[in-house]
Amino acid sequence: MSPLPDAILEVSGLARLHGPGCGRCVAATGPEAGTNVCTNCGTVVACADIGFELMRGEVLGVIGESGSGKSSLVRLLHGDDTPTRGAVRFRDPAQPDAVVDLLALDARQARRLRNTRFGIVYQNPHLGLNFAVSAGGNIAERLLMSGEKRYARIRSRVAELLSRAEVPASRMDELPGRFSGGMQQRVQIARALATDPALLFLDEMTTGLDVSVQARILDLILELQHQLGVSMIAVTHDLGVIRMLASRTLVMKTGRIVESGLTDQILEDPQHAYTQQLVASAL
Amino acid sequence: MTHWLLKVEKLEKHFLLHEPARRIPATFRVDLELQPGRLLAITGSSGAGKSSLLKCIWRTYLPTGGRVWLREADGTVTDLAAASEQKMLALRRTEMSHVTQFLRCLPRKSALDVVAQPLVDDGAPPEVARERAAGLLTRLNVPAHLWSVAPATFSGGEQQRINLARGLIRPVRLVLLDEPTSSLDPVSRECVISLLRELKMAGTAMLAIFHEPALVEALADGEVRVPPHPDLALDATATATACVAAAGTSGLVRHVA
Repeated sequence: MSPLPDAILEVSGLARLHGPGCGRCVAATGPEAGTNVCTNCGTVVACADIGFELMRGEVLGVIGESGSGKSSLVRLLHGDDTPTRGAVRFRDPAQPDAVVDLLALDARQARRLRNTRFGIVYQNPHLGLNFAVSAGGNIAERLLMSGEKRYARIRSRVAELLSRAEVPASRMDELPGRFSGGMQQRVQIARALATDPALLFLDEMTTGLDVSVQARILDLILELQHQLGVSMIAVTHDLGVIRMLASRTLVMKTGRIVESGLTDQILEDPQHAYTQQLVASAL
Repeated sequence: MTHWLLKVEKLEKHFLLHEPARRIPATFRVDLELQPGRLLAITGSSGAGKSSLLKCIWRTYLPTGGRVWLREADGTVTDLAAASEQKMLALRRTEMSHVTQFLRCLPRKSALDVVAQPLVDDGAPPEVARERAAGLLTRLNVPAHLWSVAPATFSGGEQQRINLARGLIRPVRLVLLDEPTSSLDPVSRECVISLLRELKMAGTAMLAIFHEPALVEALADGEVRVPPHPDLALDATATATACVAAAGTSGLVRHVA
């Protein structure tokens, strides 16, 4: 099975179980069972039976309440965690003939791919940034990992990335702790974009920011997506964010995808009972 | 007669709500055929399912039954009711446009940029897109001092014209319009009418929900009357039933021209 020509990522049968596992875990959990803890052996099924495709240049939204498995999914795809089973195939637009099976890579190859071709923006800037290192240093680290060694070149690239993310380049030598929350997210975005990644993961990127800052960050992301054509997976519980960002959306509950569709269809004509409840609960 | 561009056959939509479990009818068995350069007016009482019909064609709603055939510029015929999500997204970019009843856009973006965005997304240089947006806003009688302001603070009529300009800025073959002039003053309404006439002349096919007979008179080549769903008609008021009787329920499509 090879991905569609325009697919950058193809995920099938992906599952992550925390615990001994007993062969009944997946059947005993999920939206119908209303739990993700196996009644038989106590294993926590963070996610299971996950399958979807991400197209080139597309923003795919993932919504669901806390504990639905959306962040677990991002961690698995980004390589922060290892799936129990399943397949993730990545077709780099820069090398369209080579399809990489992400789960078959050794640790070094996986790290290299993550550092050069993927980018991630976490809800918590402490996860994405090293607060003991300057904002510029955080970005430079990624450039160094991708093989750039020339100091002057790194410094000018950092300045360029920061101004693209609308952070004054004059503040590149300051520690992230001296920045506002919105600015820290911008530094994360600049860091994520440092190596011109093909795929960007946004994990609740605007949660906790005030609405005016949130609007500007969304605008920035849309502009970057348009300019750079980077594919994105955006995880959020904010339906307004998903409406603005994503063309298609997956809905997750208790570790499963319960519904997927065009974003406006998911929000205006939700099919699954859970999605209907989610949409009806939005302010 | 020219080939149809859009052909809707027995389109039906109902919603299945899970909690509490209910089946809510929205649109009942609509048939229509639309040719390039023509405008069909969709009429019917409030709640009859006019907007639902447009949303089914745009696929914001998943049709429950029936077919929605679209003939693309290259001659390909696609059933929108069954098209894949990727296909729908591609068609929304290239072939069709949907002007909804209310404006929804990113906050803090100027009216001019909101209108220009679809062209920019298409790959047009921003200055070219802005110039075209300015031209449209002028035609639609939106005062120039508002262009640099975010539309969130605008009046209903101003927002409606921003929405219309954004929906019409890209050249597409099919335009779906949901009450495009409902909150406009007579002058602005005339501007909209002349713009829509021009689009028709250029060959754009349009489906438009109109409430005012004057608009139907001015723009429509035919009328599609959406009758209330029979399930709803059962408990509808006597007035509604009388209206349906007056309109005649036999033929759903009545060509004026």
